[in-house]
Amino acid sequence: MPSPDVALARPRATSVETLSRRDLRLGKLLLAPALAYIFLLVAIPFLLAVFLSLTNSSAGSLQFSFVGLQNFRAVVASPVFLRALRNTFIFTVVSQVLVIGLGNVLARALMKPFRGKLLVRFLILLPWAAPISLATLGWLWIFDSTFSVINWLLKVVGWLGPGQWYYWLGDPVLGMIAIITVHVWRMLPFSTVIILAGLTSIPKEVHEAADIDGAGPVAKTFQITIPMMLPILTVAVLFGAVFTFTDMSVVYLLTRGGPYNSTHVLASLAFQDGVLGGDVGRGAAVAIFLVPLLVVMAVVMLRISRRAEVV
Amino acid sequence: MQSRRQFILRGAKLVAAGAAAVSAGPTVFVRGAGAADKQLKILQWAHFVPAYDKWFDPWAKEWGAKRGVEVSVDHVGFADVVPRATAEVAAQSGHDIHMFIGLGSAFEEHVIDLKEVSGTLEKKYGKPVELATRSTYNPFTKKQFALSDMWVPDPGNYHKKIWSDIGMPSGPSTYEDLVKAAPEIRKVAPQMQIPIGIGLSQDIDSNMAVRNMLWCHGGSIQDKDGNVVLNSPETLKAVEYAKRLYSVGMTQAVLSWNAASNNQAFNAQETAYILNSISAYRTAQDNKLPVLENYFFVPALKGPTGIQLASEHVMSGYVVWKFSKSQDIAKEFLVALVDASRESMLASKLYNFPSFYGAAADPNTPMAKRAESGAAWIAKQCNADPFGSQPGDKLSLLARALPWSTNLGYPGFANPAEGEIFDTYVITDMFAKAATGTLSPKDAVTEANNRCKEIFTKWRKKGMVAGGSKDR
Repeated sequence: MPSPDVALARPRATSVETLSRRDLRLGKLLLAPALAYIFLLVAIPFLLAVFLSLTNSSAGSLQFSFVGLQNFRAVVASPVFLRALRNTFIFTVVSQVLVIGLGNVLARALMKPFRGKLLVRFLILLPWAAPISLATLGWLWIFDSTFSVINWLLKVVGWLGPGQWYYWLGDPVLGMIAIITVHVWRMLPFSTVIILAGLTSIPKEVHEAADIDGAGPVAKTFQITIPMMLPILTVAVLFGAVFTFTDMSVVYLLTRGGPYNSTHVLASLAFQDGVLGGDVGRGAAVAIFLVPLLVVMAVVMLRISRRAEVV
Repeated sequence: MQSRRQFILRGAKLVAAGAAAVSAGPTVFVRGAGAADKQLKILQWAHFVPAYDKWFDPWAKEWGAKRGVEVSVDHVGFADVVPRATAEVAAQSGHDIHMFIGLGSAFEEHVIDLKEVSGTLEKKYGKPVELATRSTYNPFTKKQFALSDMWVPDPGNYHKKIWSDIGMPSGPSTYEDLVKAAPEIRKVAPQMQIPIGIGLSQDIDSNMAVRNMLWCHGGSIQDKDGNVVLNSPETLKAVEYAKRLYSVGMTQAVLSWNAASNNQAFNAQETAYILNSISAYRTAQDNKLPVLENYFFVPALKGPTGIQLASEHVMSGYVVWKFSKSQDIAKEFLVALVDASRESMLASKLYNFPSFYGAAADPNTPMAKRAESGAAWIAKQCNADPFGSQPGDKLSLLARALPWSTNLGYPGFANPAEGEIFDTYVITDMFAKAATGTLSPKDAVTEANNRCKEIFTKWRKKGMVAGGSKDR
């Protein structure tokens, strides 16, 4: 005869199994919408883009034939593409450095107590909440080559003499500066909030212990703050970089890639070639050109982030 | 009592059911409530003269109401006309009628042949203007892929006082006049930022302006048979001319202009000459701007070859999608739209010019005289502008614009290759790179010619563009 303990153990095990199975089912059910969303709106369009880049598909037609790597060969030989590729890296690296640097300054300032802190936080978040098309229209007037507010201001303070004028959107270098400025303005609130969250999550005791050990501000920054914020910083940089690499809105609304296609990034060039120009195959080739690099970047950064978490 | 797990499961089911009901609900409701037997959905641009849309929308609905057809009209900005068409073709659903303001030829495969509509209208009003035919018919595939009800002339706009001050009160008449005038304008109006405001940027107006320069110097992208002939001494002269003009009369501002920039610059008296339709002028009138008394027009300029040509500013091209379930109604609508050419021209404040001049004829005019009668009615409007121009005949030159107006693709027909070159700014970039010294004129022409050949070759392979044997 089985002991009473064993007799009681069986139903408990079954109950745990059932619970576990139910948990699994519930987990799958709860995950399903997210997975369906990713599959339908990310995976399928991405695979379609890869597929189209290997065809001669055009905007006005549903018929196409395979052309192999011909689109990639054609875009690599194009000076406009090479310029856009260079611009994409400049745009991403410069704007990310500025966003993280300035975000750090703002976050540290916002950690200090001062009057009107709530209002300042609200104002800092505004660019993130404003629709980019509306905001860029405002910037379009600020940088307008004929009526630039900045130029009028510089004239008034005597920086610009008679006949001197900055053609913000008519010069390739000034055009890139304008694009990066608007993008930094747009991304700064996000990075500030992320960094602020990271800074506030570091326990005060750690800093106090470092103070007792005689650590200076530099040592504390490099040995405490940065290592402890690395996971969150990595996510901020990864998100910012991928977002910037694939963004076309600022470029398209501000310069439309001009003057003479000199301020295009890959995303805006893909739109111009693929949608406006109707060469979908070429546009797709331009659009997915950086995918391998982005994948490697994402993997590396996520690994760094995970290792930092373990530490 | 329910457990947390049960609560979540039931909640998830409820949310899913609610979402399904929300997504299905309005569709079912709208379909049930609309309940019209026939529907016609039209997509067109937001007109540059807003008064036109105020006329068009109720007029289209009223036309439908008389026939038991529910007509809906959606407007998009001019820059969204092509992307929207691309999306609807990809989805194989959307509107029944789609209006292009430039070249819709790339979508030829997905639109029905409107030969029958065109034939009906020709029987009623005679032939359309040549540039309308050349923008809506593909001689290679022999398909009337679009129908044009209107086109818009593109004259020069000049500042009378400034040009009078430099001894040219009637404004420029040749391209060389611009080069001569620019330094003089700088002297008499040093406050003016850009003496000559011709755009060299990635926008629609610049696209037309540089083609005018190209054609008047004897160059073109294609010849009449569809061969790429951009690489020519004539093109080189046009590009060298642009470089000269840029150095004496322009600034980098013109490299960044959008479609509204030249209007704004002229209306703010920051430039003394632009190439534009009368929309900027109407804005100046509506807002009673100080520039108004000096706002005057000249015809297209002549090049050193004696050629005097300007691209149409807008060429309507209505297409009916193959996926439309209301194709017959759509055809009827297009006929009615051309029938209303007089109303259309007046509603647009003389911006729209009828593509079928005969449609503007006096009632009961014999067939053989309709085009002539229509032209006379158009001239009457332009000679005494009913919208308050001072003097009243300020716009009279528009009535004589047809001989110096042409289509994109001149001297050939418009085609998808010309469309792609237009939409990817190959020609504006060629002029801009040479003008700014980024490339030498010769290198700029070579680069653009190579890109044009690449684009033409691609479309020829698709069987939609002729030529190729005499490409340069």
